[in-house]
Amino acid sequence: MVPGDDKELVARVLSAQDTAAFGELIRRHQSHVRNFLRKLSGDFTLADDLAQDCFMHAWEKLHTYSGKGSFIGWLLKVAYTTFLQSKRKSKRYAEILEEAGNAAVAGERSSSAHFDEAGDLDRFLAVLTEEERAIMVMSYACGLSHREIGLSMAMPVGTVKSMIFRGKEKIRTNFGIQDRQHG
Amino acid sequence: MASKIVNMVERMKDGQDRLLEAMFASKPIADDGFSALVVRRIRRKLLLRRLTLPIAALIGGLLAFKPVGGLLSIALRVLEQLPGEFVAATVAGLPTLQTVVTGGLILAAAVLSLSMLED
Repeated sequence: MVPGDDKELVARVLSAQDTAAFGELIRRHQSHVRNFLRKLSGDFTLADDLAQDCFMHAWEKLHTYSGKGSFIGWLLKVAYTTFLQSKRKSKRYAEILEEAGNAAVAGERSSSAHFDEAGDLDRFLAVLTEEERAIMVMSYACGLSHREIGLSMAMPVGTVKSMIFRGKEKIRTNFGIQDRQHG
Repeated sequence: MASKIVNMVERMKDGQDRLLEAMFASKPIADDGFSALVVRRIRRKLLLRRLTLPIAALIGGLLAFKPVGGLLSIALRVLEQLPGEFVAATVAGLPTLQTVVTGGLILAAAVLSLSMLED
Protein backbone atom coordinates (compact mmCIF):
# COMPACT_ATOMS: atom_id res chain seq x y z
CA MET A 1 0.00 0.00 0.00
CA VAL A 2 1.41 3.36 -1.00
CA PRO A 3 0.15 6.21 1.21
CA GLY A 4 -0.23 9.87 0.19
CA ASP A 5 -2.71 12.05 -1.65
CA ASP A 6 -3.12 12.01 -5.43
CA LYS A 7 -0.74 14.89 -6.10
CA GLU A 8 1.98 13.34 -3.94
CA LEU A 9 1.61 10.05 -5.83
CA VAL A 10 1.77 11.89 -9.16
CA ALA A 11 4.98 13.59 -8.02
CA ARG A 12 6.46 10.19 -7.11
CA VAL A 13 5.57 8.74 -10.50
CA LEU A 14 7.07 11.71 -12.32
CA SER A 15 10.27 11.85 -10.31
CA ALA A 16 11.11 8.15 -10.18
CA GLN A 17 8.80 6.39 -12.66
CA ASP A 18 7.31 4.70 -9.58
CA THR A 19 4.91 2.07 -10.95
CA ALA A 20 3.72 1.15 -7.43
CA ALA A 21 2.56 4.75 -6.86
CA PHE A 22 0.81 4.71 -10.22
CA GLY A 23 -0.80 1.39 -9.26
CA GLU A 24 -2.22 3.09 -6.19
CA LEU A 25 -3.64 5.90 -8.37
CA ILE A 26 -5.28 3.28 -10.60
CA ARG A 27 -6.78 1.45 -7.58
CA ARG A 28 -8.25 4.73 -6.31
CA HIS A 29 -9.82 5.86 -9.58
CA GLN A 30 -10.47 2.76 -11.71
CA SER A 31 -14.09 2.54 -10.59
CA HIS A 32 -14.94 6.10 -11.69
CA VAL A 33 -13.07 5.76 -14.97
CA ARG A 34 -14.64 2.39 -15.81
CA ASN A 35 -18.12 3.63 -14.89
CA PHE A 36 -17.61 6.77 -16.99
CA LEU A 37 -16.52 4.72 -20.01
CA ARG A 38 -19.27 2.14 -19.52
CA LYS A 39 -21.85 4.92 -19.63
CA LEU A 40 -20.25 6.56 -22.65
CA SER A 41 -19.83 3.39 -24.71
CA GLY A 42 -22.69 1.28 -23.37
CA ASP A 43 -20.45 -1.80 -23.63
CA PHE A 44 -18.79 -3.17 -20.49
CA THR A 45 -16.04 -5.15 -22.22
CA LEU A 46 -15.14 -2.32 -24.58
CA ALA A 47 -15.23 0.13 -21.66
CA ASP A 48 -12.80 -1.97 -19.61
CA ASP A 49 -10.41 -2.24 -22.58
CA LEU A 50 -10.65 1.53 -23.03
CA ALA A 51 -10.04 2.03 -19.30
CA GLN A 52 -6.79 0.05 -19.62
CA ASP A 53 -5.76 2.18 -22.60
CA CYS A 54 -6.76 5.30 -20.70
CA PHE A 55 -4.43 4.46 -17.80
CA MET A 56 -1.64 3.62 -20.26
CA HIS A 57 -2.13 7.04 -21.90
CA ALA A 58 -2.30 8.65 -18.45
CA TRP A 59 1.10 7.08 -17.62
CA GLU A 60 2.59 8.52 -20.81
CA LYS A 61 0.98 11.96 -20.44
CA LEU A 62 1.21 12.37 -16.66
CA HIS A 63 3.69 15.25 -17.05
CA THR A 64 0.88 17.29 -18.64
CA TYR A 65 -1.16 17.19 -15.41
CA SER A 66 -0.56 20.67 -14.04
CA GLY A 67 -2.01 20.02 -10.58
CA LYS A 68 -4.84 22.50 -11.24
CA GLY A 69 -8.12 20.79 -10.45
CA SER A 70 -8.62 17.26 -9.24
CA PHE A 71 -6.67 14.31 -10.57
CA ILE A 72 -9.88 12.43 -11.35
CA GLY A 73 -11.02 15.37 -13.51
CA TRP A 74 -7.80 15.15 -15.53
CA LEU A 75 -8.12 11.36 -15.72
CA LEU A 76 -11.68 11.61 -17.06
CA LYS A 77 -10.41 13.99 -19.73
CA VAL A 78 -7.85 11.35 -20.77
CA ALA A 79 -10.64 8.74 -20.68
CA TYR A 80 -12.85 10.90 -22.92
CA THR A 81 -10.01 11.45 -25.40
CA THR A 82 -9.28 7.71 -25.41
CA PHE A 83 -12.96 7.04 -26.06
CA LEU A 84 -13.08 9.49 -28.98
CA GLN A 85 -9.89 8.07 -30.52
CA SER A 86 -11.18 4.53 -30.26
CA LYS A 87 -14.53 5.60 -31.71
CA ARG A 88 -12.81 7.00 -34.76
CA LYS A 89 -10.91 3.77 -35.28
CA SER A 90 -13.42 1.16 -34.27
CA LYS A 91 -16.15 -0.19 -36.46
CA ARG A 92 -17.44 -2.03 -33.45
CA TYR A 93 -18.40 1.22 -31.77
CA ALA A 94 -20.44 2.21 -34.81
CA GLU A 95 -22.49 -0.97 -34.40
CA ILE A 96 -23.09 -0.28 -30.70
CA LEU A 97 -24.09 3.31 -31.43
CA GLU A 98 -26.51 2.09 -34.07
CA GLU A 99 -28.10 -0.25 -31.54
CA ALA A 100 -28.30 2.55 -28.96
CA GLY A 101 -29.87 4.81 -31.58
CA ASN A 102 -32.53 2.21 -32.30
CA ALA A 103 -33.20 1.86 -28.59
CA ALA A 104 -33.65 5.62 -28.32
CA VAL A 105 -36.15 5.64 -31.19
CA ALA A 106 -38.07 2.85 -29.47
CA GLY A 107 -37.96 4.83 -26.23
CA GLU A 108 -39.35 7.95 -27.86
CA ARG A 109 -42.49 6.06 -28.85
CA SER A 110 -43.37 5.72 -25.18
CA SER A 111 -44.64 9.00 -23.71
CA SER A 112 -43.65 8.25 -20.13
CA ALA A 113 -40.30 6.93 -18.90
CA HIS A 114 -40.07 3.84 -16.72
CA PHE A 115 -36.98 4.52 -14.70
CA ASP A 116 -36.64 1.09 -13.17
CA GLU A 117 -35.87 -0.48 -16.56
CA ALA A 118 -32.25 -1.44 -17.17
CA GLY A 119 -31.89 0.29 -20.56
CA ASP A 120 -33.39 3.66 -19.55
CA LEU A 121 -30.05 5.35 -18.97
CA ASP A 122 -28.82 4.18 -22.39
CA ARG A 123 -31.95 5.65 -23.98
CA PHE A 124 -31.46 8.93 -22.10
CA LEU A 125 -27.84 9.13 -23.18
CA ALA A 126 -28.61 8.26 -26.78
CA VAL A 127 -30.51 11.54 -27.33
CA LEU A 128 -27.44 13.55 -26.28
CA THR A 129 -24.38 14.49 -28.32
CA GLU A 130 -21.11 12.86 -27.25
CA GLU A 131 -19.92 16.03 -25.53
CA GLU A 132 -23.21 16.48 -23.67
CA ARG A 133 -23.15 12.82 -22.69
CA ALA A 134 -19.61 13.08 -21.30
CA ILE A 135 -20.46 16.24 -19.37
CA MET A 136 -23.69 14.79 -17.96
CA VAL A 137 -21.88 11.62 -16.85
CA MET A 138 -19.07 13.66 -15.27
CA SER A 139 -21.62 15.76 -13.43
CA TYR A 140 -24.26 13.23 -12.37
CA ALA A 141 -22.32 9.97 -12.18
CA CYS A 142 -18.87 11.13 -11.09
CA GLY A 143 -20.01 14.11 -9.02
CA LEU A 144 -17.54 16.59 -10.58
CA SER A 145 -18.27 20.29 -10.05
CA HIS A 146 -18.94 22.53 -13.07
CA ARG A 147 -15.50 24.09 -12.56
CA GLU A 148 -13.80 20.68 -12.59
CA ILE A 149 -15.71 19.67 -15.71
CA GLY A 150 -14.68 22.94 -17.35
CA LEU A 151 -11.02 22.19 -16.59
CA SER A 152 -11.37 18.61 -17.86
CA MET A 153 -13.12 19.50 -21.09
CA ALA A 154 -11.13 22.73 -21.62
CA MET A 155 -14.26 24.90 -21.77
CA PRO A 156 -15.59 27.81 -19.72
CA VAL A 157 -17.87 27.05 -16.75
CA GLY A 158 -20.70 28.93 -18.49
CA THR A 159 -20.51 26.57 -21.47
CA VAL A 160 -20.56 23.55 -19.12
CA LYS A 161 -23.69 24.90 -17.41
CA SER A 162 -25.45 25.62 -20.69
CA MET A 163 -24.56 22.15 -22.04
CA ILE A 164 -25.97 20.51 -18.91
CA PHE A 165 -29.10 22.65 -19.23
CA ARG A 166 -29.43 21.70 -22.91
CA GLY A 167 -28.91 18.02 -22.09
CA LYS A 168 -31.59 18.13 -19.42
CA GLU A 169 -33.95 19.89 -21.83
CA LYS A 170 -33.41 17.19 -24.46
CA ILE A 171 -34.11 14.44 -21.93
CA ARG A 172 -37.16 16.32 -20.64
CA THR A 173 -38.56 16.83 -24.16
CA ASN A 174 -37.80 13.34 -25.43
CA PHE A 175 -39.09 11.46 -22.42
CA GLY A 176 -41.87 13.76 -21.20
CA ILE A 177 -40.40 14.34 -17.73
CA GLN A 178 -42.18 16.91 -15.58
CA ASP A 179 -39.92 19.31 -13.70
CA ARG A 180 -40.81 19.75 -10.04
CA GLN A 181 -38.94 22.05 -7.67
CA HIS A 182 -37.84 20.34 -4.47
CA GLY A 183 -36.84 21.79 -1.08
CA MET B 1 -20.62 25.13 7.66
CA ALA B 2 -19.86 22.49 5.04
CA SER B 3 -23.15 20.74 5.70
CA LYS B 4 -25.01 24.07 5.27
CA ILE B 5 -23.40 24.54 1.86
CA VAL B 6 -24.32 20.97 0.91
CA ASN B 7 -27.92 21.65 2.01
CA MET B 8 -28.06 24.83 -0.11
CA VAL B 9 -26.73 22.97 -3.12
CA GLU B 10 -29.28 20.21 -2.51
CA ARG B 11 -32.11 22.76 -2.34
CA MET B 12 -30.99 24.32 -5.64
CA LYS B 13 -31.36 20.98 -7.39
CA ASP B 14 -34.63 20.41 -9.14
CA GLY B 15 -36.58 17.19 -9.44
CA GLN B 16 -34.88 16.28 -12.68
CA ASP B 17 -31.43 16.70 -11.11
CA ARG B 18 -32.36 14.22 -8.39
CA LEU B 19 -33.85 11.87 -10.97
CA LEU B 20 -30.71 12.05 -13.11
CA GLU B 21 -28.46 11.49 -10.10
CA ALA B 22 -30.48 8.39 -9.25
CA MET B 23 -30.31 7.22 -12.87
CA PHE B 24 -26.57 7.81 -13.18
CA ALA B 25 -25.74 6.36 -9.78
CA SER B 26 -23.81 3.14 -10.09
CA LYS B 27 -22.18 0.76 -7.68
CA PRO B 28 -18.40 1.09 -7.34
CA ILE B 29 -16.62 -1.42 -9.57
CA ALA B 30 -14.31 -3.79 -7.69
CA ASP B 31 -10.67 -3.67 -8.75
CA ASP B 32 -10.45 -7.47 -9.24
CA GLY B 33 -6.89 -7.35 -10.52
CA PHE B 34 -7.53 -4.47 -12.95
CA SER B 35 -4.85 -2.20 -11.48
CA ALA B 36 -2.34 -5.08 -11.30
CA LEU B 37 -3.00 -5.83 -14.97
CA VAL B 38 -2.39 -2.23 -16.04
CA VAL B 39 0.76 -1.95 -13.88
CA ARG B 40 2.06 -5.18 -15.47
CA ARG B 41 1.45 -3.70 -18.94
CA ILE B 42 3.30 -0.52 -17.95
CA ARG B 43 6.27 -2.44 -16.52
CA ARG B 44 6.46 -4.57 -19.66
CA LYS B 45 6.43 -1.41 -21.78
CA LEU B 46 9.18 0.17 -19.65
CA LEU B 47 11.32 -2.96 -19.91
CA LEU B 48 10.84 -3.10 -23.69
CA ARG B 49 11.79 0.57 -23.97
CA ARG B 50 14.95 0.02 -21.89
CA LEU B 51 15.94 -3.01 -23.97
CA THR B 52 15.14 -1.45 -27.34
CA LEU B 53 18.28 0.71 -27.63
CA PRO B 54 20.88 -1.96 -26.69
CA ILE B 55 19.13 -4.57 -28.84
CA ALA B 56 18.90 -2.20 -31.79
CA ALA B 57 22.58 -1.30 -31.36
CA LEU B 58 23.52 -5.00 -31.26
CA ILE B 59 21.48 -5.84 -34.35
CA GLY B 60 22.80 -2.75 -36.15
CA GLY B 61 26.36 -3.72 -35.18
CA LEU B 62 25.90 -7.27 -36.44
CA LEU B 63 24.40 -6.05 -39.72
CA ALA B 64 27.13 -3.45 -40.18
CA PHE B 65 30.00 -5.84 -39.29
CA LYS B 66 30.31 -7.50 -42.70
CA PRO B 67 30.18 -4.34 -44.89
CA VAL B 68 32.52 -2.47 -42.50
CA GLY B 69 34.98 -5.38 -42.62
CA GLY B 70 34.78 -5.30 -46.43
CA LEU B 71 35.41 -1.54 -46.48
CA LEU B 72 38.46 -1.92 -44.21
CA SER B 73 40.00 -4.60 -46.43
CA ILE B 74 39.43 -2.40 -49.51
CA ALA B 75 41.03 0.55 -47.69
CA LEU B 76 44.05 -1.59 -46.78
CA ARG B 77 44.43 -2.72 -50.38
CA VAL B 78 44.26 0.92 -51.57
CA LEU B 79 46.90 1.92 -48.98
CA GLU B 80 49.21 -0.85 -50.19
CA GLN B 81 48.97 0.47 -53.74
CA LEU B 82 49.78 4.07 -52.72
CA PRO B 83 53.39 5.23 -53.12
CA GLY B 84 55.40 5.02 -49.85
CA GLU B 85 56.32 8.72 -49.83
CA PHE B 86 52.65 9.79 -50.10
CA VAL B 87 51.68 7.61 -47.09
CA ALA B 88 54.61 8.92 -45.03
CA ALA B 89 53.66 12.55 -45.82
CA THR B 90 50.02 11.93 -44.87
CA VAL B 91 50.96 10.25 -41.54
CA ALA B 92 53.28 13.17 -40.74
CA GLY B 93 50.36 15.56 -41.31
CA LEU B 94 48.14 13.78 -38.74
CA PRO B 95 47.82 15.43 -35.29
CA THR B 96 50.03 14.04 -32.54
CA LEU B 97 48.61 12.11 -29.57
CA GLN B 98 49.22 15.13 -27.31
CA THR B 99 47.14 17.39 -29.60
CA VAL B 100 44.29 14.85 -29.68
CA VAL B 101 44.26 14.49 -25.85
CA THR B 102 44.33 18.27 -25.31
CA GLY B 103 41.51 18.78 -27.82
CA GLY B 104 39.46 16.05 -26.13
CA LEU B 105 39.93 17.63 -22.71
CA ILE B 106 38.87 21.08 -24.01
CA LEU B 107 35.79 19.54 -25.63
CA ALA B 108 34.83 17.67 -22.41
CA ALA B 109 35.26 20.85 -20.36
CA ALA B 110 33.05 22.78 -22.80
CA VAL B 111 30.30 20.11 -22.66
CA LEU B 112 30.45 20.02 -18.84
CA SER B 113 30.23 23.81 -18.54
CA LEU B 114 27.28 23.88 -20.96
CA SER B 115 25.38 21.24 -18.99
CA MET B 116 26.11 23.12 -15.74
CA LEU B 117 24.82 26.35 -17.32
CA GLU B 118 21.65 24.52 -18.45
CA ASP B 119 21.07 23.23 -14.87
